[in-house]
Amino acid sequence: MNTAGRIPVLLGALLLTVGTALAADGGSVLKADDLKVAPFRDARTVGSLAAGDRVEILKKQGGWFQVKSAKGSGWVRMLSIRRGAARKGGPDAAGILGLASGRAGTGRVVATTGIRGLTEEELKAATYNETELKEAESYSTSRAKAASFAAKGKLVARKVDYLPPPDSAR
Amino acid sequence: MSRRVLVAIMSSLLLVCFGSPAQAVDLGQELKNAIERNTQPQAEPSSPQSSGGIDVGGVRGLLGFSVEEEVAIGRQAAGTLLGAAPLVKDAKLQKYVNNVGRWVASQSERPDLDWHFGVIDSSDINAFAAPGGYVFVTKGLYRLLQSESELAGVLAHEVGHVIEKHHLKVLQQSQLLDLGSRLLSQTAGEHQIIKNLIGNGAEIFARSLDRTAEYEADRIAVVLAARAGYDAFGLPTVLQDIGHAGEDSPGVKLLFKTHPHPDDRLAHLDDAVGDRFDTLKGQTLERRFYRIKP
Repeated sequence: MNTAGRIPVLLGALLLTVGTALAADGGSVLKADDLKVAPFRDARTVGSLAAGDRVEILKKQGGWFQVKSAKGSGWVRMLSIRRGAARKGGPDAAGILGLASGRAGTGRVVATTGIRGLTEEELKAATYNETELKEAESYSTSRAKAASFAAKGKLVARKVDYLPPPDSAR
Repeated sequence: MSRRVLVAIMSSLLLVCFGSPAQAVDLGQELKNAIERNTQPQAEPSSPQSSGGIDVGGVRGLLGFSVEEEVAIGRQAAGTLLGAAPLVKDAKLQKYVNNVGRWVASQSERPDLDWHFGVIDSSDINAFAAPGGYVFVTKGLYRLLQSESELAGVLAHEVGHVIEKHHLKVLQQSQLLDLGSRLLSQTAGEHQIIKNLIGNGAEIFARSLDRTAEYEADRIAVVLAARAGYDAFGLPTVLQDIGHAGEDSPGVKLLFKTHPHPDDRLAHLDDAVGDRFDTLKGQTLERRFYRIKP
């Protein structure tokens, strides 16, 4: 039967739209925005968030976060949200970067792998290294090879217009 | 630009470095003359010439840079950046980054530039673009990434700087610009005149671009990523991660110094994007993302 064949397809489609579950992650609202019942513009509005409101980020899908807040739960545009709390780095400032540099190995581990920064002073003092540059150039790939790499990942090029600067849009 | 042209440039670099002393003296004299010309209170009106540029409102136009000249400046800057932080010695990683970057750059107006991408061995969190298509991401930033779409977004921001020639515009503000643009056609590579043009070492990367240039590169980045079939929100996700960590985190000092705060970048992107991408789905490719060995 046709309907039996469709079920796995539907299931697959559902799985694709589930989005990325995030470990419960705090955030705050950068600018007032609507809370929607689903992650798209035309979805029913179930509430509104004000700048500075705290939210818990549950899931990411495309340009949307699923959030829980004192004003209710729903989906909000991710660009209206900042992860974490205070701008200058509050108690949760260790966050992602803390973890990341931990992975790189804080302190001891790092020392053995030769951790190095890239400060302004180091950049100014740098001297030209032709050997490294030639190595970098050797990894270059052609437009055609990049296109076949993209095809392997099922990436399909599409037409998207450039965004005007926000000031001119107003 | 073909490899043959690059080879030609490298040959001329060798000529310049190991050429006759007479030639070096001539170039030194050219430099002096040009500086004197440039410091004259009433400079002669610039006129269009083969490689000298055109006059745009009293400032020499960017069109004055040929692709060869742009690449010569980019090579000098990139080679010096690599002098500060060499490539991560992982050929698979470097090839992967070149594939992602070239695919993203193929969606721009300069798909046929000789694009080069690389991951450099620094724990700092940063990414760099040099004229002519040289783009580098630090290992510190790469480690933050969780998907190919995030990498695509970061590279696309740098591609945006290259296609908009943001660094060349900064160089253009310097008095030596038209000197460089006149001489680069005959000299390229590690050369004193280009060094003078771009400043000490890789200092060009420690300078801030105009904030509007950063916002512009962000807008270009989400569009190029979307055009390439990726989730457009890779770069914003990375910006949220960096903003989340805050400017007191290790390794972000230079990034915060040379860029607007990630929150401001997100807010500007939000203003520009609005609801345009609401229905646009794209791939994140978490599973294909190449993860660096710890």
